[in-house]
Amino acid sequence: MNAVVFDVALTAYILAAVAALSSLIWRRDDLGRAARVLTLAGWICHTAAVALRGVELGRPPVLTLAEVVSVVIWVAVLVDLVVERRYGITAFGAFLLPVVLALGLGLPTGLRDLALEPQASSAWILVHVALVLVGLAALVLNFGSALMYVLQERQLKAKRPGVFYYRMPSLQTLDRLTLVTLTVAFPFLTVGLGLGVVRAGRAWGRDLVLDPLALFSIVMWLVYAATLSGRVVGRWGGRRAAYFAIVGFCVLLATLGAGVIFQGRHGS
Amino acid sequence: MMERLFVAGLSHHTAPLAVREQLALDEDKLREIVSDLAGRGTCAEIMILSTCNRVEVYGVADVPGEARSVAFRQMGAQRGIGLPTLEPLLYTHGGVEAVQHAFRVASSLDSMVLGEPQILGQVKDAFALAQACRTVGPVLHSLMSQAFAVAKRVRTDTEVGRHAVSVSFAAVELARKIFGGLGGRSVLLVGAGEMGELAARHLVEEGTLPVYVANRTWARAESLARDLAGTAVPFEELLPVLAQVDIVITSTAAPEPIIRAAEVERVLHARRGRPLFLIDIAVPRNVEPAVNALDGVFVYDVDDLRSVVEANLRERQRQAQRAEALVEREVTKFAARLRDLEVVPTIVSLREKLEEIRRAEVARALARLPGADPATREALEALSQGLINKVLHGPTVKLRDSSRAGHHRRWIEFISELFGLHPRGGAGREP
Repeated sequence: MNAVVFDVALTAYILAAVAALSSLIWRRDDLGRAARVLTLAGWICHTAAVALRGVELGRPPVLTLAEVVSVVIWVAVLVDLVVERRYGITAFGAFLLPVVLALGLGLPTGLRDLALEPQASSAWILVHVALVLVGLAALVLNFGSALMYVLQERQLKAKRPGVFYYRMPSLQTLDRLTLVTLTVAFPFLTVGLGLGVVRAGRAWGRDLVLDPLALFSIVMWLVYAATLSGRVVGRWGGRRAAYFAIVGFCVLLATLGAGVIFQGRHGS
Repeated sequence: MMERLFVAGLSHHTAPLAVREQLALDEDKLREIVSDLAGRGTCAEIMILSTCNRVEVYGVADVPGEARSVAFRQMGAQRGIGLPTLEPLLYTHGGVEAVQHAFRVASSLDSMVLGEPQILGQVKDAFALAQACRTVGPVLHSLMSQAFAVAKRVRTDTEVGRHAVSVSFAAVELARKIFGGLGGRSVLLVGAGEMGELAARHLVEEGTLPVYVANRTWARAESLARDLAGTAVPFEELLPVLAQVDIVITSTAAPEPIIRAAEVERVLHARRGRPLFLIDIAVPRNVEPAVNALDGVFVYDVDDLRSVVEANLRERQRQAQRAEALVEREVTKFAARLRDLEVVPTIVSLREKLEEIRRAEVARALARLPGADPATREALEALSQGLINKVLHGPTVKLRDSSRAGHHRRWIEFISELFGLHPRGGAGREP
């Protein structure tokens, strides 16, 4: 049942992404409105799907990698809706929704069967997962705004106004959004991963370094740590910060990919 | 009604400036011509739109060609231009095409600078002048009110008037693309070129604050600073100011760059990643081109600003296509409404006619019933009212349907003949 509802949500997201991109390219406000309605509809279905899964399994639906990614998407779309409404950044969905889809479309296939070891589902693990989850959702948004920044910056530097120039928010708005999302994501990620490392170090011992998901996560954390310190201490300009945010997200995707491909201790 | 509506005139599309400027008449003269044309009965309704880019007569007349000749002969006569000179420059649109033309003109889709905002005000002024002369009837009234509504929709629903089409406003628009709101952004104006000052003024109007002014001549810097409510800074101390401000406008006559990449790079760290926007209006350029390569620094010279203006014009063109489609839909709707309007006088006079009969008959009946109590009187009124409503229903529905189908003329004539009506308005001439 939850799979059907999830597919409905995913379909709504696909339509919303198409509408949002078309609205950006052809500069049509009516398509933008359609995209927002579809996004909201998708999100409501998604909420139902997550809740149903929780009810069906009789446990929090955040214990497999697929479930985690699903909830990451859920949070990211929620924040997208809020950002579009509060700040009037209507082009945001056009960047965020494709990312959401790239993550979401992976769910029915490879990600689905991946589960944590049953005995690991303790309160510790739940806190670990929840914290990392919020961090990842913020990083999805971080990537979206960084990508928008880079595109807008390139168009301004090239002095050829085009799609991005006419439809996207100002550079400083995007820069602030990139910084805020990173600042929110980082503490969650740090504590979440920290808990995981401590806990896994105790449970698995030396096997920790053999778990690809854990290893990649640490690399990812290092990239984001470098980005944040570069901004705060090194006073980086917006462009370098945006490039680092994009690199960080690539590592994030690689991390999830590693979790799927190599079945380390995180897999069952 | 629709068939008698026309617009005739010349515009930047058909006539050279030399002719247009000759025809630009003052308000008194226009008032005179408008009143005269309506007075002698050439036009049932008339309004003249006269701007530096177009002179057009909007009117309702049985013979639009005659109205057009009379109007332009009179206008040309003011400056000694004969009608034969003007005739080849004139265009005439009638009926639906006239409606479309009016909508396009008011929406600035026919303007020289696509989407420029002044034209709507000019059309409104022309309409007000005609109203003051009492030459506006139901057709022009509904045409123009609808034209204003369409123009407003075009402005809000498309972006045909949104992007800057002058160099100095393009600079403001770019600043907004970089910084978002401009309130509280600081500006440094280097040099005292006219264009630089203009751009600075536009920025100040957007709320930028504070403004610094640097000039090789200290007195000039001080006077300009007073003008812009800013602060004069010594020309030699540009760098420390460069570390603080958000927007720099340069327009000095210096033969070589006064702001170099190496210098800007040095102040970048102190800027904590805040973007810097340099508008270089000077020729030769005051800012080294390499400055644009620095992270968070944007340099636009005069050519760059011009290419932004060109891109904006192309963007307006794209938006104009959507606006044209919108206008097209509104024209169709309006034409249908106008046709509806044509059957209304017949319906009204039919109702009046029956009402007249009813009242007379009720009076006659009551005369024969001197002792009738209020209840009986009421019943009589209700009975007669119900009767005429039933009779009216058929013809009214028929007329409205036929107007939608476009063959209402026949039915107006038919019903008028049948009931012996002489409807006011419609095919008749306005008082």
